[in-house]
Amino acid sequence: MDIYQLDDLNRLQQHLMAQFHLYQVINNDDEQCSWQQQTKAENEPLITKLPQSSAKEFFFAEHENLLIFNGDYFQETLPTPEPFVLFGVLSCDLTAISYQDQFFKDDPYYQARRQQCLLVGLDCIQPCQQGFCPTVDAGPGVREHCADIILHPLEDQQWLVITTNNKGAEAIKGLALNISHSHLLTQRDLSLHQCEQDFPDHTYITQGINKLNSGEIKDTFWQQIAVQCLGCSGCTTLCPTCSCYGTRSITVESDQKKEIKQQRFWDSCLYEGFQREASFHNPSSDAGKRVQRFWQHKFGNEFFTEFNRHGCVGCGRCEQTCPGNIGVHSVMKRINNDA
Amino acid sequence: MLNHIPDAIKLVDYIDDGEKARHYKFRLLNMKHPWQDAQPGQFFMLNVPSIGEAAFTFTEPPNEQGEFRALIRQMGKLTSTLFSLPTGEVLGARGPFGRGWPLEKITKQNIIIIAGGCGLAPLVNLINGLTNSTADNKAENVATNQQVVLIYGAQSKQAQLLTPERERWQQHIEIYNTLDEVNDQYALAENENQGTPVDILDTVLKRFVKQPTIALLCGPEIMMYSAAKQLVDKGMANDAIFLAIERCMHCAVGLCGHCYFNEHYVCKSGPTFSWQELQ
Repeated sequence: MDIYQLDDLNRLQQHLMAQFHLYQVINNDDEQCSWQQQTKAENEPLITKLPQSSAKEFFFAEHENLLIFNGDYFQETLPTPEPFVLFGVLSCDLTAISYQDQFFKDDPYYQARRQQCLLVGLDCIQPCQQGFCPTVDAGPGVREHCADIILHPLEDQQWLVITTNNKGAEAIKGLALNISHSHLLTQRDLSLHQCEQDFPDHTYITQGINKLNSGEIKDTFWQQIAVQCLGCSGCTTLCPTCSCYGTRSITVESDQKKEIKQQRFWDSCLYEGFQREASFHNPSSDAGKRVQRFWQHKFGNEFFTEFNRHGCVGCGRCEQTCPGNIGVHSVMKRINNDA
Repeated sequence: MLNHIPDAIKLVDYIDDGEKARHYKFRLLNMKHPWQDAQPGQFFMLNVPSIGEAAFTFTEPPNEQGEFRALIRQMGKLTSTLFSLPTGEVLGARGPFGRGWPLEKITKQNIIIIAGGCGLAPLVNLINGLTNSTADNKAENVATNQQVVLIYGAQSKQAQLLTPERERWQQHIEIYNTLDEVNDQYALAENENQGTPVDILDTVLKRFVKQPTIALLCGPEIMMYSAAKQLVDKGMANDAIFLAIERCMHCAVGLCGHCYFNEHYVCKSGPTFSWQELQ
């Protein structure tokens, strides 16, 4: 781990843009913000606002071709992206990427994209509106194992730049950065600690997780929650760790040839037909069971064991997007009060 | 890395069986993957180009020539398309996948096998193994007094599958057949009963000289659960009852999420589970 001090972020951005396609979260006209590619000489300012969509699409594409069938054999269609950098990923989303790295570790399509990516993380020094990353060990400071480079804002437009591995160190080679004083690392710790203190009290989430794992919650509770689930897939689409997908075939016919592509696309375990079989037998026809399974997947001890952490990274997107008001905060409060 | 790409296979031929079911014979056009390691109860993903993929079990695993068989019922879009295809058509297959029957646990044990409808398909390979015994195996079975009993349930006489196979097996093991629907004119044979396998389970258990120590179940979940509960009530251990679970699958490699069963993915941890694992 090497630590440097930087006085002009634009220098780092331009240096990286010479080697990678650079993506950054930018404010849109509609008061939302999203990941966008940067090409200008003068970079947009770095914002610590959670984009509506996480970075998962960069690695696990919303839809992508898996193969082509030409009538005789099946051919793999792996993506071949050029090297790119995600500049300024917040800790919750980086934790989600690390989670998906584990889940998709043997998936060639995911890995083809992931291996081309440099992750530059950005520490949060103020709580966000719906976030609760400290409760689920996902922030506000970027975890060393989740990023190649970590940025921490200091006073007077100064930045702390931390390289966590060779990939990060290699990327900033030639930039001639000043080695940082060690007291700035202490300052980072204090600032992150203060940020954690500034989060609202989320004890109800910890208590909700415990109750969820106690086996005490009755099926009727989940059925009541499920009345408010519209099966819209808003939560599963925006959740940075959700990874269910379906596959479909697409036939492209021209005069000369017929080509059949097989695609995979984001699916949702909250759809009524997610597990429906050709015989119309549906093991999860009960909406309560589907909703229960979704939350069990995010917070159940049985999954914690496999990934050494919860499937939720505390970004709060499900709360923001759910039209039925059954995002994480609402569900956890109801588990505490009604279950 | 995980394998999402099917090997090309040729549809060699097929034989009709029961109602809207066929025994398909396929031949792998290359043997890039370890097809010959397929175990009884494992499955493969059949790719019908232009439609997609679905999971089926082997009734005969791939041999040295890459030929294998599967019993397939016409049910949805994929199987209806398959049923319309001529022999010689090129399709795809990925596999073998999953955890099959616990072969190491059934040697020399008294076994009760309960199958409903197409649920007999994943057991064919295993029962063939038990009944195609060599002289040595037969001697061993006699020495250990191994008793194997199959209860096979079908909706009706016309819907029964694998009749020649069951006739052949009957020379080696006891078989009881149940029929959900029987018309008035039909006279039940000696080993036939009206109802479901669960209805006659108690009676069949009494036919064992020594009570069964292993149960293998495959068929509708409601049938398997009732049978498993009844077997536990009769004193069988939770970890001696094995069920083959069917789920819709898109990947078969533990990624797509469709085949979840509690915290398990049926494609990876199953399709065969002990009753204990499903509690």
